[in-house]
Amino acid sequence: MKRPVRALRLAVCGLTALLLWTRMPFSVSADEPYDVYHYNDLGEAIPSQAGYLAETSVSGTDLGISAFSEPSDLFKDIDDCFYIADSGNHRIVKINPDFTEVLAVYDSFRLPDGTKTTLNHPKGIYVSPDTGLLYIADSDNARALIAEPDGTVRQVIQKPSSPVYDQQLTFLPQKILCDNAGNVYIILGNTTKGAAMFDRDGSFLGYYGANSVKRTPAVIANYFWNRISSEESRKYRVRNTPTAFDNFDIDREKGFIFTSTSSGNSNTDIVKKVNPEGHNLFSHLSGFVWGDEFSTWYGGTAYQTKIIDIDIGDDRSINCLDTTTGRVFQYDEEANLLFILGTIGDQVGGFTQGGVAAVETKGENCEQIYVLDSLKGTVTRFSQTAFGAIVHNAASLYQQGKYEEALEPWLEVLKYDGNYRRAYIGISSAYYNMGRYQESMEYAKKADSSSRYNRAFSKYRAQFLKAHMTEILGAAAGLWAAAFAMRRIIRKRKAGQPAQSDTQGGGLS
Amino acid sequence: MMDLTQKQWVGHVIFHPFEGFEDLRWKKGGTLKYTAVILIALFFALIAYDRWCGFQFRPLPDALFSVTPYLMKSLVYFGTWCVGNWAVCTLLDGEGTLRNITIYSSYALIPYILSTFVNVVLSHILIQEEAVFFHLVYYLGLLWSTLLLFQAIKAVHQYSFPKTLAAIALTLAAMLIILFLAVLFLSLFQKVYVFFYSLYTEILYRIRT
Repeated sequence: MKRPVRALRLAVCGLTALLLWTRMPFSVSADEPYDVYHYNDLGEAIPSQAGYLAETSVSGTDLGISAFSEPSDLFKDIDDCFYIADSGNHRIVKINPDFTEVLAVYDSFRLPDGTKTTLNHPKGIYVSPDTGLLYIADSDNARALIAEPDGTVRQVIQKPSSPVYDQQLTFLPQKILCDNAGNVYIILGNTTKGAAMFDRDGSFLGYYGANSVKRTPAVIANYFWNRISSEESRKYRVRNTPTAFDNFDIDREKGFIFTSTSSGNSNTDIVKKVNPEGHNLFSHLSGFVWGDEFSTWYGGTAYQTKIIDIDIGDDRSINCLDTTTGRVFQYDEEANLLFILGTIGDQVGGFTQGGVAAVETKGENCEQIYVLDSLKGTVTRFSQTAFGAIVHNAASLYQQGKYEEALEPWLEVLKYDGNYRRAYIGISSAYYNMGRYQESMEYAKKADSSSRYNRAFSKYRAQFLKAHMTEILGAAAGLWAAAFAMRRIIRKRKAGQPAQSDTQGGGLS
Repeated sequence: MMDLTQKQWVGHVIFHPFEGFEDLRWKKGGTLKYTAVILIALFFALIAYDRWCGFQFRPLPDALFSVTPYLMKSLVYFGTWCVGNWAVCTLLDGEGTLRNITIYSSYALIPYILSTFVNVVLSHILIQEEAVFFHLVYYLGLLWSTLLLFQAIKAVHQYSFPKTLAAIALTLAAMLIILFLAVLFLSLFQKVYVFFYSLYTEILYRIRT
């Protein structure tokens, strides 16, 4: 009686020890404070592997200066140095690439005439990669400054006197950037016409890249009634104006400007890729949902993705920051979802509800993602995992059209996450290019992509027909001959027994 | 004349769309056994179309497959058609019995079922660019079956052409009403069931405490 009890106790002890031993290292190391997920092609959220892990969170005091107060923009220049528009403290802070020490604090500038000037709630910062000039959206001073790195102002952009600019509007610069030609684009806080565009001499050129109103039946009906109603009654009618985009980033190499719109009541033009002519190259993605596919209702409030900032990585990935859920949605340059990271919470990797303000990426393959939380006053660094690195490598090879070279990394991706649909697509494309059509078909099927399956199948069918032409023709000829012979035999038999066929065929009554 | 076996009647009816059903009626042919076989074949044809087509023609993702819609499409719709038609045409001096309506209507479905199976085979040979052949077979089967169904109703009730049209329109309306009432009853009975069930649990709690 005693023996089995002891054996049982021993077994339980051993099991507990084993459990502790196996669980301990996992729970201590890389556990992110949220469930990592991904969307499959049916739009369902499915568990996935983490592409990024939160590493550290850095505040102003960690860097040896006073705490950040409502920092509203984060920017990384060509030398990987970071700039924070520390709005509440009226300063711009320059930080070294490792995010460990402050290189410079800009709180006052020298104007060209020698006088000193201070910033007032600067909300946007941009540093030109060609000239090294600082572009500052000095919001509450109603101006934009273009300054040398040593603090000398080169140029001041103020409210334009052009008749195109509605003179009743104040000038409220929020975000700023400049393109390869030196044109300056400024997002204003109080217009829906798009970003104000200035040439390199500071003269107003017009507006750029406004959002459009989605043509729903209600909007069209409203437009019609507005057209036929009188001047007086039109004043009291609703006008459909597009929502304004409130952040942007530029792909300097190709010259595209990507805009993001955080407005909750529109679902078009959330992210735009605008070419220099002002046309949206993502207009074909009209049904595409950026961020979370579904909005959730909780306690009477709709929690819907609100993309507050956008960043184009060095590998052209599109990183969108959602202020509702504190998540970064990373897409490749053709808007295929790569990873989702971040959450609302207090741990490293968690942010305040509605507090995140800016996202930046660093590295050739987006090895690091930085997220600025303006309520916490911290910058959080996410680092790529091994899985993330493989996916980025595979995706960039695939984007460049090097399908065969991408085969190995895609196969590797499947070892980490068998639900990663893009891997199946990548493998199918690779095998297709290598002429291994049957395998290409197999992976296209797993990716649920009938168009890719069809492409591979048509090649496979041609190959099959070419290889087996003699057999097929032979079989067809054989069948034909057999049918011919059968017919002869049946006819002969019928002719031999006329009486029987008569009674069977038509018993005339 | 016309002493055909039941098997031969099926072929006769399908390939003689204008006289076939009249002959069938005149000779009192047709059997419910074949109706059962045809309905089972229809059920599997609908499933085969969504599940066994070549992947380049497959319209439905694997994850969304469920057997209920196929039961609905094959058995329930057919049943409502027969009952609805019988109900309407009894009032419109139709001569068909429920048994005959069921048999004739089911025979009319054969071309559609066959075309579906042909398409399942074709879809493994064709590519998307050649989908026109696929659609050709599909619409051929559908049109043929529609024509046969029309003739079946016309023959079984001994109607004229315009009266058949009217009867079919009324039958469709009757089907809608039947299905609507069925859904209504289903949800009502569900509510009644839930009511009695909660009553039962309530009483159970009272007894226990």
